[in-house]
Amino acid sequence: MAGPTTAWLRLLLRFALDGLAGQRGRSGLTMLGMAIGTASVVSVVSIGLLGRAYVVSLIEGVGSNLVFAYGTGDGVNPEEVAFDDLDVFRARVPGVRAMAPVLSSTETMSIGSEPEVVNVLGATPEYAPVRNLVTVSGRFPTQAEERSAEKVCVVSRELARRLWGDRPPGSDEWLRVFGLRFHVVGVYREGVESAAAVQKSEAAGLTVIVPFSTFRNLSPVRTVDVVYFQAQSPQAVSGVVDAVREVLKSRHHALSSFKVESLQGYLVLAQRVSDAVTLGLIAIAAVSLLVGGIGIMNIMLVTVTERTRDIGIRLALGAGRRDILLQFLLEAGILSLAGGIAGVVIGAILPWYAGVLYGVDVPVSALSVVVAFGVSLAVGLFFGLVPARKAANMNIVDALGYE
Amino acid sequence: MLTPPSARVASAAAAHAPEVIRLAGVAKTYHRDGVPVAALRSVDLRITRGEFVAIMGRSGSGKSTLLHILGLLDAEYEGRYELAGTCVSGQSADSLAPLRNRLIGFVFQSFHLLPQLSILENAALPALYARDRERDACFAAARTRLVEMGLGDRLEHRPGELSIGQRQRAAIARALVNAPSLLLADEPTGALDSRTAEEILEVLGDLHAAGATLVMVTHDPEVAAVASRLVQIRDGRAHDGVA
Ligand SMILES: Nc1ncnc2c1ncn2[C@@H]1O[C@H](COP(=O)(O)OP(=O)(O)O)[C@@H](O)[C@H]1O
Ligand SMILES: [Mg+2]
Repeated sequence: MAGPTTAWLRLLLRFALDGLAGQRGRSGLTMLGMAIGTASVVSVVSIGLLGRAYVVSLIEGVGSNLVFAYGTGDGVNPEEVAFDDLDVFRARVPGVRAMAPVLSSTETMSIGSEPEVVNVLGATPEYAPVRNLVTVSGRFPTQAEERSAEKVCVVSRELARRLWGDRPPGSDEWLRVFGLRFHVVGVYREGVESAAAVQKSEAAGLTVIVPFSTFRNLSPVRTVDVVYFQAQSPQAVSGVVDAVREVLKSRHHALSSFKVESLQGYLVLAQRVSDAVTLGLIAIAAVSLLVGGIGIMNIMLVTVTERTRDIGIRLALGAGRRDILLQFLLEAGILSLAGGIAGVVIGAILPWYAGVLYGVDVPVSALSVVVAFGVSLAVGLFFGLVPARKAANMNIVDALGYE
Repeated sequence: MLTPPSARVASAAAAHAPEVIRLAGVAKTYHRDGVPVAALRSVDLRITRGEFVAIMGRSGSGKSTLLHILGLLDAEYEGRYELAGTCVSGQSADSLAPLRNRLIGFVFQSFHLLPQLSILENAALPALYARDRERDACFAAARTRLVEMGLGDRLEHRPGELSIGQRQRAAIARALVNAPSLLLADEPTGALDSRTAEEILEVLGDLHAAGATLVMVTHDPEVAAVASRLVQIRDGRAHDGVA
């Protein structure tokens, strides 16, 4: 029957609350201890998630779900990706949202008085979204300009700075590439600055990007430097890698001349590392939770000693040892749970609210909140057990004060 | 084990009434710094329903020790103890708690009311711990007892707000709330002035007249005079005397 048991629990809960109410200051301080422990655990998980999200964004900033294929130029008979391969990729590699082949050469330009080597890339309009390039000013070449092989270009922010200083280029700036005048239509930067740290980026540094078709028409370059594929989902990445390998193998002498890679490996590694760091931080935060638990034990031991006579009277009136045990366990549990709630407010809701105020996405793990609750309650009950048993196992006559 | 002649006469006289207490060879030895102190050597005692027994004896003779054993507060003794027909000696603490709750009411010298609770809550405690009645029924029973004790207009007061006579009456109401078979009092007038003491003794006398079984420890012959029977503790044994 649930009725009598709930009535009994409610009775003991009343006694427990009465007990706590009789020592508000002390109860408050003990809860604060638990609150700090819980808040540290929750906020440390948030910090860990923030760090993880940052590292992942660095890698994904290179381009999400990215697969890239290129000839290494190594081996006995080095081969490169050919123009003809591109149509075969389009036909035979499934699960691809966008493909962006890149042609590459260099051009020596005189910037100021110095001659400088500048990368010249030929890329289709898909290149910008696939490689996560962002316009600083102006725009990227359009599909129409790609189709009609216009002589337009975008320049990297670094190159723009060297050419025109901090002032953005006007609408009437021109650059000499392949011996011809190209209209500068925009300035770009990489979506994530440190993308180059993960993988050497062809778009970094002093770079000009022209339409793929224009490059192909004007340059003697007859091989593709690198082909980027954006898979439709993270799950599709490995299938794309395999299909690209398959195509290269079928159309070239040896697959060993090529590298087909994705960033999944880096992603998994980065996630593992940040998870490990987070786990370490949680372990440190758990120590404060442990300290909070010891605080509860300490306070409850004092409470039990102070209330010796109270306990003796209750036992003399016919309270069972279970009644006393549970009453004091409840007191410890309430202390730790109330502390846990306060800790979650401090550790989760405040950062979350600050995030809302400042427009930062602060991740709060629901799991960490639930776990912090559970752990703080468990800590309270665990550390409350010793004092509660001390209370329940009192010698009644001694507790009554030996009349 | 010899039973003193006077005790034999007394129990024979009350043979028709059911026994509430039967002690046989009850002994209790305390150990103080490893030195054994025999508080009770061998107590044989029978108390039948409706008796009002005063237990007397010199200070340190073992009166309180005996009362604690009778009240199931102390389960560490030798010998046999039957309470209301059940053998309680040797029972575990867990099984003694409900017996103590239902069969025994205590009145202490220093009242032992919980200061943070109202006297209504205090008086309801034994009923609440019994767990066989609704919460409201527990408080109703407590209220009835307190009204009987003349405390109907003090129900919500804390013990500290009452006179000491009122406190002891509240404690008696609490002892009675579960309608126990046995009321135990250890020097119930010890902390009271003579007028208040008289008032409390009158209450106990009324309970006796109404059929309650009482055992009261006192060192005061005048207090013992209200009882129907006198038991002397001497040399760790119980000797029946005249009330
Ligand atoms: N908890 C105890 N530890 C050691 N000795 C005790 C304890 N309680 C009582 N005694 C001893 O047992 C004897 C009987 O004590 P008690 O029953 O309190 O006597 P009374 O109530 O008749 O004054 C005394 O000698 C007392 O010192
Ligand atoms: Mg005594």
